[in-house]
Amino acid sequence: MTDAEDVRIGVYICHCGINIASAVDVGTVRALAETLEGVTVARDYRFMCSEGGQELIRKDIRELGLNRVVVAACSPLMHEITFRNTCEQAGLNGYLFQMSNIREQCAWVHDNMDEATLKAWGLVSAAVHRVALHEPLEPMKADVHPATLIVGAGIAGIQAALEISESGHPVYLVERESAIGGQMAKFDKTFPTLDCAACILTPKMVSVGRRENIHLMTMSEVESVMGYVGNFKVRVHTKARYVTEECTSCGECVKVCPVKVPSLFDELLSERTAIHKMFPQAVPGDFVIEKRERPPCKQACPIHQDAAGYIALIREGQFARAARLVRRENPLPFICGRVCYHPCESQCNRGSVDEPLAIQQLKRFLMDWERENIGEVDPPPPEHDYPEKVAIIGSGPAGLTAAFDLAVKGYKVTVFERHDVPGGMLSVGLPSYRCPPEIVKRDIDYIRKLGVTILTRRQLGRHFFLEDLLSEKPDMGFKAVFLATGAHKAFTLNVPGEDLDGVISGIDYLRNVNLGFGQITGRRVAVIGGGNTAIDAARTARREGAAVTILYRRTRDEMPAEDEEIEDAIAEGVRFRYLIAPVAVLGDGGRVRGLRCVLMELGEPDASGRPRPIPIRDSEHELEFDQVIPAISQQPDRSWYRDGGQTSNRKGQPRLLFSRWDTIEVHAESMQTDIPGVFAGGDVVLGPSTVVESMGQGRRAAEAIDKYLRGLPMQDFKTHMPPPNPRKTFESRPHPYAPRYEDIPREPRVNTPQLDPATRIGSYKEVNLGFSAEQAVQEAQRCLNCGVCVECYECERVCEPGAVKHDMVDKVTEIDVGQIIIATGYQTFDPRKMPQYGYGRYDNVLSSLELERMLNTTGPTGGKVLCKNGKEPRAIGIIHCVGSRDENHHRYCSRVCCMYALKFAHLVAERTDAEVYQFYVDMRAFGKGYEEFYARVLSEGTTVIRGKGAEVIPSRNPTNGDRHLVVRCEDTLIGKFREIPVDMVILCTALEARSDAGNVASTFHISRSPDGFFLERHPKLDPMGTTSEGIYLAGTCQGPKDIPDAVAQAQGAAARALALISKGHVLIDPVRAQIDPDRCSGCRICNTLCAFDAISYNIEKKISEVNETLCKGCGTCVAACPASAITGRHFSDAQILAELEGLLV
Amino acid sequence: MPYSYYPGCSLHSTGTAYDKSVRAVFHALGEDLIELEDWNCCGATIYMSNQETVALAISARNLALAEKLGHDLVVPCSACFTVLNKTRRFMEEMPTLRAQVNEALSVANLHPEYSVRVRHPLEVLINDFGVERLAQAARRTLEGFKLACYYGCQILRPERAVGDDPEVPMVLDRLMEAFGAHTVDFPAKTRCCGGMLITTFRKVALDLIGEILEWAVRGGANAIVTVCPLCQINLELYQDRLGPRTAEKVRLPVLFFTQLVGLALGCSPEEVGLEHQVVRVPPEYVTPVEVGNHD
Repeated sequence: MTDAEDVRIGVYICHCGINIASAVDVGTVRALAETLEGVTVARDYRFMCSEGGQELIRKDIRELGLNRVVVAACSPLMHEITFRNTCEQAGLNGYLFQMSNIREQCAWVHDNMDEATLKAWGLVSAAVHRVALHEPLEPMKADVHPATLIVGAGIAGIQAALEISESGHPVYLVERESAIGGQMAKFDKTFPTLDCAACILTPKMVSVGRRENIHLMTMSEVESVMGYVGNFKVRVHTKARYVTEECTSCGECVKVCPVKVPSLFDELLSERTAIHKMFPQAVPGDFVIEKRERPPCKQACPIHQDAAGYIALIREGQFARAARLVRRENPLPFICGRVCYHPCESQCNRGSVDEPLAIQQLKRFLMDWERENIGEVDPPPPEHDYPEKVAIIGSGPAGLTAAFDLAVKGYKVTVFERHDVPGGMLSVGLPSYRCPPEIVKRDIDYIRKLGVTILTRRQLGRHFFLEDLLSEKPDMGFKAVFLATGAHKAFTLNVPGEDLDGVISGIDYLRNVNLGFGQITGRRVAVIGGGNTAIDAARTARREGAAVTILYRRTRDEMPAEDEEIEDAIAEGVRFRYLIAPVAVLGDGGRVRGLRCVLMELGEPDASGRPRPIPIRDSEHELEFDQVIPAISQQPDRSWYRDGGQTSNRKGQPRLLFSRWDTIEVHAESMQTDIPGVFAGGDVVLGPSTVVESMGQGRRAAEAIDKYLRGLPMQDFKTHMPPPNPRKTFESRPHPYAPRYEDIPREPRVNTPQLDPATRIGSYKEVNLGFSAEQAVQEAQRCLNCGVCVECYECERVCEPGAVKHDMVDKVTEIDVGQIIIATGYQTFDPRKMPQYGYGRYDNVLSSLELERMLNTTGPTGGKVLCKNGKEPRAIGIIHCVGSRDENHHRYCSRVCCMYALKFAHLVAERTDAEVYQFYVDMRAFGKGYEEFYARVLSEGTTVIRGKGAEVIPSRNPTNGDRHLVVRCEDTLIGKFREIPVDMVILCTALEARSDAGNVASTFHISRSPDGFFLERHPKLDPMGTTSEGIYLAGTCQGPKDIPDAVAQAQGAAARALALISKGHVLIDPVRAQIDPDRCSGCRICNTLCAFDAISYNIEKKISEVNETLCKGCGTCVAACPASAITGRHFSDAQILAELEGLLV
Repeated sequence: MPYSYYPGCSLHSTGTAYDKSVRAVFHALGEDLIELEDWNCCGATIYMSNQETVALAISARNLALAEKLGHDLVVPCSACFTVLNKTRRFMEEMPTLRAQVNEALSVANLHPEYSVRVRHPLEVLINDFGVERLAQAARRTLEGFKLACYYGCQILRPERAVGDDPEVPMVLDRLMEAFGAHTVDFPAKTRCCGGMLITTFRKVALDLIGEILEWAVRGGANAIVTVCPLCQINLELYQDRLGPRTAEKVRLPVLFFTQLVGLALGCSPEEVGLEHQVVRVPPEYVTPVEVGNHD
C-alpha cells in the first residue's frame, strides 16, 4: 500500500481508429480523467498499441516521473502484455499498470454515444482508483522440461513428433489404437496430387518407430495431467497387447483364430480375427489381441474355465485341442460334464437372444470324445520338485482339486479319505444314473498319475488327529493341512417319531445305495425336501421300485434343485406335493407307517429371501408311507474336533473357529484358519454347496498353501473368485461389434438326447446320452464370442517366436514432460441422423470413409468399386454437405469434402465405366492446386449439379432386374427438379469433434468452441495455442482441415514447443493466491477446494501453504477462507473495492 | 375420458366413411366423441392467403367452441388438423394478432384462452390407448391386408404433434402390424398427393398420385391406408386416369386407418363405412370376428 508514496498516474485513452472513437467521445473521457485524484496526465491517441502510442507512455514515465499507468483501449487479452512490456521498457514494473476495456465491452456494444461515453468514463475511473493500490510484482521463473508429450498419432501427431525429435529432444507419442496413422492411413489417394496416402505416410510412420528419442506408446491413453507449463506430470494407461515385440508378423496366428469380428479400420465392411494387425503397413508391426471384458461364462465359473475358448474350438472341429483346453483348468472334467450346476449357463449372454449355450453338455461331449478317440491322457509334469508334504483331509471335489494343483506345483500330497472309496459326495452322494462310478474313477485316476497318494478308511478324529499331521511322527511330518471334510451330517426333522425304523436321511440313503451296503427301500416312500439331494433320493427310490412322493413346504418356484433334475424326476413318475410339511412320523410297532402333515401357505420373505411357509390351521391330515427320507440339507460334522482334536489344550494355542452352522471359519482370501499351516475349504466352509464351487475353494487353498510354504505374503492371489454380481458391459449387445440381441436370429438350443423315462427307471444307466459330433458343432455355432478373444490359446500354440502372452496386464506409467501437443483428430458424422439419404436402410449407400476403404487396395474389395451384388456400378451419385452447413446438425463447413468428392469422381472414372454425378451446394476448391484439380476432374466428364441432394430412394423401375437408387434433387442452375438414377450413392459426411472430446478437454484443462472442436487461443493470431500455457493443438482436433494444413499446424505447434525448450525457462504470472501464515488457522477448507491441488497442509507449522507454480490464480480459496487469511495477489480486497468505488461515477 | 370432435367439411361429405369409422372406433373403445355444435370451416382454404386475420378469427372460433367443452379436440382431417394447430400457435405466439381475433370473437361472447389441444385420432389412439391395449382388444385380425401406409405430408410436419420421424415415420405401420396386417416398404409414404392441385393443375397432381400408387404396387401392397380425406379421394378416384409417367395399371382400395382399426376391434363393414369405397375391398380380406377371449 502506497499511502506514503505519491501516486502519479498516466491515463491514455485509445481511439482504436474509429472502433472506439465513433462510439465514445474520447475527448470528454480524457478531460474527465484529468480531474481524478492522482492523475498526473491524461492523453488520447489514435492507436495506443502502435509504436507512437507506446512511445507516449515511455516518454511520460521518464519525463513526468509517472509511477502508475492506465490504458483504456481494447481487451487485456489482446494487449495487456504489450503495455506491461512498454512500462518495463521505461523502467516501470509492468504490474503497476491497469488496462481498461472500453472497446469490446463498451464501444462495440452501444449505439448511443452519451451512454457509451458515460460507461467508458466509469470504466476509466474504476481503473484509476484501482491502479493507485497496485504493488510491483515479479513473474516467477520455472525451468522447462525438454520432453514433449504428443497425444494422438495421426498425421499431425506424427509430423509434430518428427519435428521435435529432429532437434534432439525427446518426445512421448501416445496413441489409443494399436497402430499409428490415424484416419489418413485409411485413405487411398489424396487430393490434389493424387499421392497415395500410404506412400507418404508410411515412411514417416517408420521413422517414428525407429527414432530413439520418440517413445511410442500405442494402446495408451492419458489418464491425468497435473502440473503447469514446463513441468507436467502425466499418467498414461497402456492396455495390454498380449503380443510382445518378438512378433515377426508372420500371420500364422490369424489362420487359427476362431473368432471374427467386423473390422473398425475397414469401416465395418470386412471382418478380421481377434488377433490381428490393424492394416498391413502398421507401425508398430506387432499383432494385437482384442480382449473385451472376460466373457460372462468364464467370469461366473469358480474355476475360471474357458468355456468360450473350447466352444470356439468345437466350432472349428478341433475336439482334441478343445479337450486339452478343458483340462488346462479342470482336474475333474468328466465329473463336471455330468453334474456341474453350470453357473456359466446362467450368465451366458445367448440367454438374452433365446437360450443359453449348453456349455455343460459340450464339455461332456468333449471328454467322452477324448475317451473314445484318444484314450488315456497324462497330466502335465510337475513344475518343481519341492520336498514339503501336504495333507488333505477328504477326497471330495475340494480336496481333489487342491491335491491336483499342489501336485502339479511339485509338492508331495497325501489325501486321507474316511470312506471305502475316494470321491466324497461324488461317490457317496451322486447316483450313478447321473454320474457313473467309472466316470468318477477316471477323473480320480488322472489325479493319481501325478503321484498323489489317496488313503481310504482313514478317518480324522479316529485313526489320527490334527496335531499328529503337523508333527514329526512316522508317516506324518506334513507342513500344511487342507481340511476338506465336506458336510455329511444331515439335519433332522425334529418331529416326534423320527427315530422309528424306516426313517433315514437322504445322504445316508444315497450312500448306502451307491456303495452297495444293502439298503432296503420301501414300497411307498416319502422324501422331505426340495434340493438336489431330495431329488436324487427320490429318483433312486424309483429305481428301487418304490412309489415316491416328494413333500416340500414351499412351491416349485422356491425349490433349490436344478430345473432339469425336477423335470427328469417328474418324467420318471415321482409325485410332487407342495406347501406341505410333516409334523410327526407315525409308527406301528416301531416301524414307520405314515406321516401326519400340515398344509402351508406362503408369507413374508425370511432370511433366505424366500417366502416363509406358514402352517394353515386345522389342516392336519395323515398320509401313508412305509419309509421316510428327510433330505433337508446337511452340515459339517465337527465331532472329530471335540475339544480341539488335540490331546492337550494349553491356553493360548490357536483353535479352529466354527460358525453356528458348524462350518469352519477361514480367512476369505487365503482360506487359512487360525492354526498356522491349517487351511479349510469346500462344503466344510461353505455349507452344502456345489461341486464346482468346492473345486474353486480347493484351487484357492492350493495357491495359498503354496505361498505359505514358499514364505510369500498372502496377497495378489491369481486364482479366480467369481464376482458376486457380474456387471454387464453392454445391455443391448455382447460386444460393440455384435448385432443387438434383438437383431440376432433365434436358434433353438440343441438338447442332449435322454433315455426314455419309462424304461430308464428300471436301471441305473446314465440318463443323459450326450451330443453327437454334429450336434456339438451345431450348438457351438450359437456362441456370441462375448469377449471377442475367447482365450482358446491357439495363437499361442502356433507362434514360433513365442510372442503371444495371454497373461500380459495393463500398466500405468508416469512421465514428466514440459509441454503437450494435442492431436487427437476427428470422427465422421453418422449419416443415420439424416434418414432421407437411406444410409443403413438401402444397399449401396456409403459414407465417404467406406468408399475410401473400398478404393484402397488393402481394403475389403481389393480396390475395386463394387455394389453389394458384386457388380460394378453403372452410375454413382456423390452428395455433398451431409451434416455440414446444416442448421440441424453442424453449421460449419467441413472444408475437405468438395475436394475429396472430386477425388472420388476421378478415381471412380479411372477404375470403372460409371457415370459420376456430384450434388453440390458450393464447390470449395480454395487451396494450392485445388482449382486446377477441379477443372481437370470436370474435363474428365463428371456431371456436377448444383442443388443439395434432397433424398435417396429406391427406383421404381428396375433395369435388367437390378434395383437401383434414385437421387432426387433440385438443379438450381436450371430451376428444375431432377431424379438421377444411380447404382451407388456416396455421402460426404461432415467432420466432427470426437465424441470423447469433452473428457479430453477436462483432462487437459482446455476449452472447446461451440462447434465442439478444441478452442484455440486466437483464431487468427494463435490457432495452435490454448488458454492453458504449454498446451498446444495440431490437426483436425482444432477444426476441420486437410492434410497440408494439418501438417503445417503440426510443424507450427512443434516450433512453439521448441521455442520454449530452447529458452529453457518460462515466466509464470505472479497473480497467485497467498496465505498469511499468521492468520491461517489450519482448517484446511482451502485444500480440498483447490481444483489444481495447489494447496497443501504443512504438518509441522500447522498451516496451509500455496504452491505458487501450481496455483492458477482462480480465487476460489480466497473467497472460501473463513479467516480471510488468503489474498489474491493483484486482486486484494482493497484493490477490488477501490475499483468498484471508482465505477460509481 | 371424453373428447370433443371436429369432423370438418370433408367428413360430412365425401369423407363420410372417415367420419363413420372414427366414431365407430371410439365407440368400440368406450369413449365419447362429442361433436362441436355449430362448428365452422377450419380455415384450410385460399382465404387464409387473402385475408389472414379474418381467416384466423373464423378458424379460432372453433377453438373457442371447443374450449367451452374443455376436452381435447380430435380432428381427423390432416388439413383441418394442421390449420387449427397453426391458428392455436399463432394465437399463443402473437399477442397483437390474438388481441384482434379475440376482439372479433368477443362479439359472439367467446373469450378463448387457446388452452385446448388439437389432436389427430392416430396420435390419440397411440398415446392415450396404446398399441398394446388396442391389440389386446382386437377381435379380428387384419392379416388379409398387405398395406402401404400413407401418412401424407401434413400430420408429421410442420406440426410435430404426432411425434414421429417426419422422414421415415412408422407409427401407423406399427399400429397396423399390431393387428396382424402386413406392411410393405413404401418410400412415398410422406410424399404429397397433390391435394387441391387436382382441381387446378390436374396433370401435376395426377403425376404425383401416379407415383404414390406405383410405389404401393411395386411394394406388393393390396391396399393403401391413409389418414386424410383429400389424400383418400386423390388416391382412390383417379386410378384409371393416371398419366403416361405411370407404368403400372393400378386398382387398389384406399382406406382410412380408422376403418381398419374399427374392423380389427370387431365393428362390422357397415359400421366403418366400407360401402362408400369406390374401389371395393375384396371381402376375403376381412376375416370373420373371433369369438371368445384373447390374450
